Amino acid sequence: MKKRVLQLATVMLVGGMVFPVFSQASDDEIQKKIDKLSQEVEELKNSLKKVENKSLGKWLTIGGDYRFRYDYLKGETRPFTDASATFANAQNKMQQGYFNAVAAGDAAQTRFWAGNIAGMTAFSQQMTGVKTFSQAQSFLGANQQLLGGLGNFAVQVPAYEPENKSLYTNRFGLDLHAKATENVTVTARLVTYKVFGSQDDSAVTVDGNAPYFADRVGVFDGTLGHVPSDGSLEVDRAYGTLSNIFDQPLWFSVGRRPSTGGAPSNLKLNNERPGNGGTPSLLVDYAFDGMTIGYAPEIDALPGAYAKICYGRGFESGYRDTPGNSLSDTDMVGLAVIPIDTDPLRVWLQWNRGINIFDFPTMDDTYYGNTGAKTNLGDIDWYGAGAMSTIKKAGPGNLNLFADFALSDTHPNDNVSSQAGFQGLLTGGFFDPEAPSDKTGWAVSAGIRYDLPSKTKLGLEYNHGSEDWITFAPAADDMWTSKVGTRGNVYEGYIIQELDLKPVSSYFSKTFFRLGYQYYDFEYTGSNNWVGAPVALSDAVGQMMLMAPVKEAHNVYATFEVKF
Amino acid sequence: MNKIFSVVLVLAVLVVSSLSWVASASAEEAKMVGEVSKITLAADGKSATAILKDIKTGDSVPIEIKDELTLDKLKDKRIVEGDEIRCKFDKQDGKNTSKTFVKTAGC
Repeated sequence: MKKRVLQLATVMLVGGMVFPVFSQASDDEIQKKIDKLSQEVEELKNSLKKVENKSLGKWLTIGGDYRFRYDYLKGETRPFTDASATFANAQNKMQQGYFNAVAAGDAAQTRFWAGNIAGMTAFSQQMTGVKTFSQAQSFLGANQQLLGGLGNFAVQVPAYEPENKSLYTNRFGLDLHAKATENVTVTARLVTYKVFGSQDDSAVTVDGNAPYFADRVGVFDGTLGHVPSDGSLEVDRAYGTLSNIFDQPLWFSVGRRPSTGGAPSNLKLNNERPGNGGTPSLLVDYAFDGMTIGYAPEIDALPGAYAKICYGRGFESGYRDTPGNSLSDTDMVGLAVIPIDTDPLRVWLQWNRGINIFDFPTMDDTYYGNTGAKTNLGDIDWYGAGAMSTIKKAGPGNLNLFADFALSDTHPNDNVSSQAGFQGLLTGGFFDPEAPSDKTGWAVSAGIRYDLPSKTKLGLEYNHGSEDWITFAPAADDMWTSKVGTRGNVYEGYIIQELDLKPVSSYFSKTFFRLGYQYYDFEYTGSNNWVGAPVALSDAVGQMMLMAPVKEAHNVYATFEVKF
Repeated sequence: MNKIFSVVLVLAVLVVSSLSWVASASAEEAKMVGEVSKITLAADGKSATAILKDIKTGDSVPIEIKDELTLDKLKDKRIVEGDEIRCKFDKQDGKNTSKTFVKTAGC
């Protein structure tokens, strides 16, 4: 027994000594396996990180929008004498008279018409050489007889009611935003905007008749992609931004600017607030090529505050001081101060100045042929102040409100536009020049939009512009003319119905219908036109004008829109 | 004398204690610019935690957000993962509490 117990104890003792050795060997193996697995997991993590870093979604955001739009347009004009048609009529009649006389072998009549043609030709050539108000007065004084004769060829257009029962347009925009390097981004927007069944802008610019408004004579640099035209893919925005300069909330941005669709027009367009970008839509709605320096100080009492200095080139004159070009570039500078930018309250203050304003932008194939700047008419100062607010849970839904006020102050120089019959910066009529004088206009704009939980949004907007009000907003999303530039009143109501569909491509993806109505009640001619003095519509009784004076206009519109 | 000494001692203790309280109540303010790598909203919607990856150091910093305006932006997805944020926050007792939480300004 003792021996057996001793043997058992020995076995146990030896076993106890050996077992840890075996255990140690197993622990080592397990540890090795754990280490190996940890290393593999780490390698997998690094690989995944490399893949993530290279994936497009990390640095590139692609988005955009599609819109189909239907418009019903009806207006009412006042009688006027079409200046352009009068000159064309005179030329045609004189040429016809000459050819008839030649065919008839009537020497006297041939000399008569030849003399008229020569006189008209000399008149036109000398007219283009008139640069200033005093030169215009002298020219007109010296050509009274011919002017009287021109009256015989006057094309008088009685009042009429233009109507387009169905205008269909298609618009597609592609947005790209790339994080290129630390603190540097590049943003671009490409857009195409086309009329159904057309490869040009004639449906909007009144093909074959005197246009109604200066911002819808044709498509020009700052309205590409904002006025329906030939469907070309245009670069609406393309700019680079350097942020966090010197580790401060300071940024510099340059390129084709996001200077369209600013606050508060984002409400009607059902877009998000523009953030730091954009300009108040009452003052500027134009795709400027320019640059911005901005600073967003962190002031606890003024959340979201920022300020920026902006610059844009409205017209590039090219080589100057040449035998054929003495035009100055047209530039715009501005200062924007947004002292507070939160959902419940966003306030903006803005000043901008247009320097060396041109008389005509460069446009092709207009009613007047190809147009271009021929003279600089002076400068314009603009001042604006506005606010908008989003009040959440105001009843069952959210309430958005805005109010905006602006002043325009023109500073004409002594120049007149010969291609506009010697009109100046908000001065004079066709062949009726006025001595240059500063003119001040003003405008107000206000509106609300109520967003219901059913994704229905109801909006009402009103704006009024005074006699001498002029803005710089030709790219506004309105068919007749930019409503914020109206010298009179505009009333607009709209309903937006978003479809209750889950976003897929981005958090802000949505699909919606919009139905709206605009009523323009014009009080003066020349809305959105800084060439020539406004005329009260009640006094428009047949004077010679470049554009048909519109008394009132209606626009019913409906859209189907997708934002992705 | 003993009574006076006791009073002085109690006063001294009170002064030292209050100084300590002041020292522990003052939080350290910090600023950073970082990319949002994660957002977690509290179930009651009254707070959120955002992880910001510092663009300079690469460190991940958790930030607690309690102000309603920023919480609204998080709920509306106007601030999402991937956005670059300029943040000012208080560091206290191991917590980072947001004072301002805004997207990097630009454009």
